[in-house]
Parts: sequence; C-alpha cells; structure tokens
Amino acid sequence: MVDLSVDLGFIGLKNPVIPASGTFGYGEEFLPFFNLDLLGAFVFKGIYKNKRMGNPPPRIQETPAGLLNSIGLPGPGMKELKKIIKRVYQSTSTPIIINVCGETDQEYLDVAEYFDRMEEVAILELNISCPNVKSGGRCPAQDDKHTYRLVKQIKQSVSTPLIVKLSPNVTDISAIAISAEEAGADCISLTNTFLGMAIDLESRKPLFSKIVAGLSGPAIKPLALRLVWEVARCVHVPVIGMGGITTGQDVLEFILAGATAVQTGTINLIEPSASIRIIKEIEQIMKEQNLMNLRELRGTLKT
Amino acid sequence: MKEETGTIVENHHIQNEYYLIKMRADHVSKQGKPGNFIMVSASSTLEPLLKRPFGIFDLNPPYIWIYYKVVGRGTRLLSTLNPDDKISILGPLGNSFPVLENETILAIAGGTGIASVYFAIKEYLKNNKVSLIYGAKSKNDLNFLHSLETISLAGLYLYSDDGSIGIKGVVTADIKKIINQHGITITISCGPDEMLNRIFWIIKDLKTDDYASLEAIMGCGFGICQSCVVETRNKEYKQVCTDGPVFKMEEIQW
Ligand SMILES: Cc1cc2nc3c(=O)[nH]c(=O)nc-3n(C[C@H](O)[C@H](O)[C@H](O)COP(=O)(O)OP(=O)(O)OC[C@H]3O[C@@H](n4cnc5c(N)ncnc54)[C@H](O)[C@@H]3O)c2cc1C
Ligand SMILES: Cc1cc2nc3c(=O)[nH]c(=O)nc-3n(C[C@H](O)[C@H](O)[C@H](O)COP(=O)(O)O)c2cc1C
Ligand code: FES
Repeated sequence: MVDLSVDLGFIGLKNPVIPASGTFGYGEEFLPFFNLDLLGAFVFKGIYKNKRMGNPPPRIQETPAGLLNSIGLPGPGMKELKKIIKRVYQSTSTPIIINVCGETDQEYLDVAEYFDRMEEVAILELNISCPNVKSGGRCPAQDDKHTYRLVKQIKQSVSTPLIVKLSPNVTDISAIAISAEEAGADCISLTNTFLGMAIDLESRKPLFSKIVAGLSGPAIKPLALRLVWEVARCVHVPVIGMGGITTGQDVLEFILAGATAVQTGTINLIEPSASIRIIKEIEQIMKEQNLMNLRELRGTLKT
Repeated sequence: MKEETGTIVENHHIQNEYYLIKMRADHVSKQGKPGNFIMVSASSTLEPLLKRPFGIFDLNPPYIWIYYKVVGRGTRLLSTLNPDDKISILGPLGNSFPVLENETILAIAGGTGIASVYFAIKEYLKNNKVSLIYGAKSKNDLNFLHSLETISLAGLYLYSDDGSIGIKGVVTADIKKIINQHGITITISCGPDEMLNRIFWIIKDLKTDDYASLEAIMGCGFGICQSCVVETRNKEYKQVCTDGPVFKMEEIQW
C-alpha cells in the first residue's frame, strides 16, 4: 500500500489533492460526481464581507490551453456563507478551507475573524491576490511590506491555521513569500492567475470590462512550476502548489519542485471528477516508481 | 447530471455547416428533458480546453441527437467525428421548458435555435396544439423541413432573410398576427439574442406566457465558474447554466 497522506504541520491530509477556490463552488455541487471524503481538503470560492454581483459579462474567454477569467468574485457575503458552511460540513469530514477576500485590510480582517470562530472551518486561505479596486487593480500580494503588514495583523487576531495565497504577477516572488512567512503564515499557496487581457478587434475594445483578466489552465503550468520551485527553496513553511494541474504526473512534478500539497483549478470546470482521477493517477505512478510515501519525493529535484 | 462517454452512431452532414449527430448516451438519453442541454468535448486532449454546450435536439433511449452548426474550433472538431468515436459528455444540464397540457403553443426558432425547441415541440404535441415560426438567413440554413411537415403542427411559418424559402423577412414579422389567429397562450423561443430581444418587445403586452432558451459563454455548464450570467430586470445576475437556459421572458433585462 502506498501512503498518499501529507502533513502541512498544522493539519494532516489523507492525500495532497485540494480543489482550488473558485473552481469547486462550495463542494456540494460535486456530490453528484464523487464523495467529498476522498479529497485531501477543498477550498470554497472567495468570500468578501458583503454580497457582490461580480463583473458584467463576458466573464471568460478560452485561450490556447488556457482560460482567461474576469468573474469579479461574486458571492453572497459572509453571513450567508456561514449557513452554507454548516450545511456542507454535514456531508463530509474533509477539511474545509475558506478563501478570505477583502477590498481593504480591515475587510480582510473582518472576514478572517468572522470565520475564525467557526469550528466547521479547518483552515483559512488569505487571498491577497484579489485585485484591490481602490488601488487600481493592484493587490496586497504585489508588495512585500503590505503582505507583511496584512498577514501579521490577521495572525494576531485569528487562531485558525492561515494559508497565504500569492499572486504570480510580481518581479520577485521570494520576497513576498518570505514576508508572508515572517509575518506568521502557516503555509504558502501559489499561484493565483496570471494577468492577461483580450481584445475585440472589431470594436477595438478590451473584451473584459475590467480590461485585464486572469489566466489559468494548462497554459500556465510551466510558469507556476517555476514559481513554486522558487518559493519552496526559500521558505520553511509548507507550500501548496497549483497552476494548470490536470494529471497525477503534474502533481508529482509540483511535489518534486518542493510542494507539500497541490490544488486543482480549471480542470474541475471541464471534468468534474478530475481530482479523483488525479488521486488515482498519483497512486499508480507511486506504485510504478516504488515510492512508499510522498515525503520521499518532495523537493528531491536533482539540479 | 453525470459525466459519461458517448459513442457516435452517425454524424450526418446535412448541408453547408450543419450537422446532426446521433450518439449513444445512456444516462442523458434517459434523464434528458426538453430544454436541457449537455456539455460535450470531442477532444481526447485538453485542446480545446472547454467543453461546448448544445441543446438536446431529440432523444430516444439509449440515443440522443445534437444539431449543430460549425462556427469555430470546437464545432469543427465535432464535425470530424466518425461512427464508434467516443465523445465526453456532461449532462443533462439546466432547467427545462414547463410541462404543459391543453395549451395553444407557439414555438419561435431562429437558425440553430430549432435545436433547443424541437424536442419540446414533439413533447408538447402529445397534449397541446403547437405552431412553429422558423427562420434563418436562407434556405441553406433551414433544416428538418421534411420532419416538421410531418409532425402535425397547427401551423408552420417559414422565413428567410433572402426570400429563398418561405416568407422574405425575419421571424418576428407576423408574430402578433399569428398569436391572435391561433389564440396562442404560451410561446417558447430560441435563437440569437437580437431575435429574442425583438420578440420580447413585440409580445410583452399580450396575455401569453413567454419562455426563452438563452445562450451564454459557458466555462463549466454546471454552476461552478459563474461565467454564464445574464442580467435580470431586478438588476441581478442569473446563471444561464443552472437558473436557465429557459427563462420567463419578463425576468430578463432586454
Ligand atoms: C445552452 C446552450 C445550448 C446551445 N445549443 C446549441 C445547439 O443545439 N446547436 C448549436 O449549433 N449551437 C448551440 N449552442 C451554441 C454553441 O454552444 C456554440 O456554437 C459553440 O460553443 C461554439 O463552439 P466553437 O468552438 O465551434 O466556437 P468558438 O467561437 O471557437 O468558441 C470559443 C468559445 O466561445 C463559446 N461560444 C461560441 N459561440 C457561442 C454561443 N453561440 N453560445 C455559447 N457559447 C459560445 C464556445 O463554447 C467556446 O468556449 C448552444 C449554446 C448554449 C449556451
Ligand atoms: C473561474 C475561476 C474563479 C476563480 N476564483 C478564485 C477565487 O475566488 N479565489 C482565489 O483565490 N482564486 C480563484 N481562482 C484561481 C484558482 O483558484 C487558481 O489559483 C488558478 O486558477 C490557477 O490554477 P489552475 O491553472 O489549475 O486553474 C479562480 C480561477 C478561476 C478559473
Ligand atoms: S457555465 Fe459555469 S456557472 Fe454557468
């Protein structure tokens, strides 16, 4: 028997596969496809304090091997989400991760504190890569000092383990990751989507109302792998890798690059049961390579 | 709703860019209702990445039919499928047209919009009177005329932009007249947004109950990505894939 379990320090997971925020709804939408207990953990779509409409359509465009999205984080607000969490918690023992968003530091703090009090929430993932409308689309994860300040503030007021989710849209990802770690992050996850854009030639206008959009899917896998490798080399907390994962082989590559666990994103939209297939593929490859557990593999990239 | 692998039985090239696929799909063929759609991918790689949405044109377990027009990468790939080829399917998806009895129904279809109303028309004919207005650019874009003539519609009105078949003009030209003439109580429409928009403004003050099947760019088809939204009259967004694709016309901000 191969051992698929992984240890994030603050929590052990039965396997390294975690469906990512915004690509897995609230988990319950996937009950027709599989038992949520089979997952390592799963992340709810991002939540702000109040109800949000999101951006006007169009909100996505398919690109070669990728997906551009400008959904704009619509959601019911944190009070409504609480009811959903309680309901979903009844259907699974798999740890639930809440993806915390905010337009201001205070909002991030309010949302984090609100869910900190819920026993049904195992982990908070701080989405410091959401674009901040007030600062012209920039996000805290693009500034190491802002990252430090925000993470520190949140760590001081919540006791639920905190994952900090980084943006790839920076020059020096290590600096941001180190700031998050120094401020007390229990874990780093990366990467959120890469900024891109689409233009409608006929109207000579940007396709999306916010002009820029986020690129995900297989197209970004090599870029994400490089960022994960770089971050895993310079922080001591566990790293959760993501970006374009579609197979068990992709997962093992991220683990070789230094990730302890991974998140599956866009593939969940296309193949709802993908995460379960991926878990099986990991197990299969481990058997073929005589690997007893994933610790043996993590960060053992021969450079 | 389930993921299943369908098997192509026939991929019939009707004319020009138009095809009718018959495929074996055990689950969808049993569960599908008029108005439902499916997401399909003909690719065994992830290129193109997303599945494409199509209405269930017709079904007869274990088979379903999809009527499509080749417009881009995904539909072009569909057109290359041969008998026994596999196709991945997610479905049935979305809501369906209402179940009706003893009504006098008018279906209005523009172009491939016929795909989303044909199955409904066949069901409705069992317990209702049904008429159909069906239009497209030219006679090369109007298909299934033979079967439409044989299913005992109370009225069949054909339109073409160029006058090559039926009445020269758009499907909205005589709607009011036809509604009055037949004493229509319910309308169901599917076609380009522009056509639906025009229909809405023409019939909004009549006493008919009006339903439309909408299209939207879809990332997933089952309610996850929130990409397929349409604005409603009370300034909210609804998801076409889960709240629709069938909406009461007055709900939508036209
Ligand atoms: C609920 C629903 C039912 C549909 N039923 C039918 C049908 O029965 N027969 C038929 O011929 N067509 C139908 N369509 C439209 C069909 O989905 C598109 O023609 C098809 O997705 C085009 O794919 P492509 O790769 O060939 O085109 P491309 O232009 O290369 O596609 C690029 C992207 O845009 C999307 N897209 C392009 N056109 C449309 C469109 N009109 N509506 C939604 N997404 C689009 C594609 O899915 C893809 O994600 C339906 C659409 C919806 C939403
Ligand atoms: C439709 C969509 C919605 C997303 N919503 C969120 C979100 O709410 N919060 C978040 O942190 N990331 C969000 N993401 C980013 C994903 O969680 C993930 O970081 C990214 O897509 C890269 O992984 P992938 O290439 O496997 O999709 C979203 C991505 C997509 C495609
Ligand atoms: S297509 Fe993804 S939510 Fe409708």
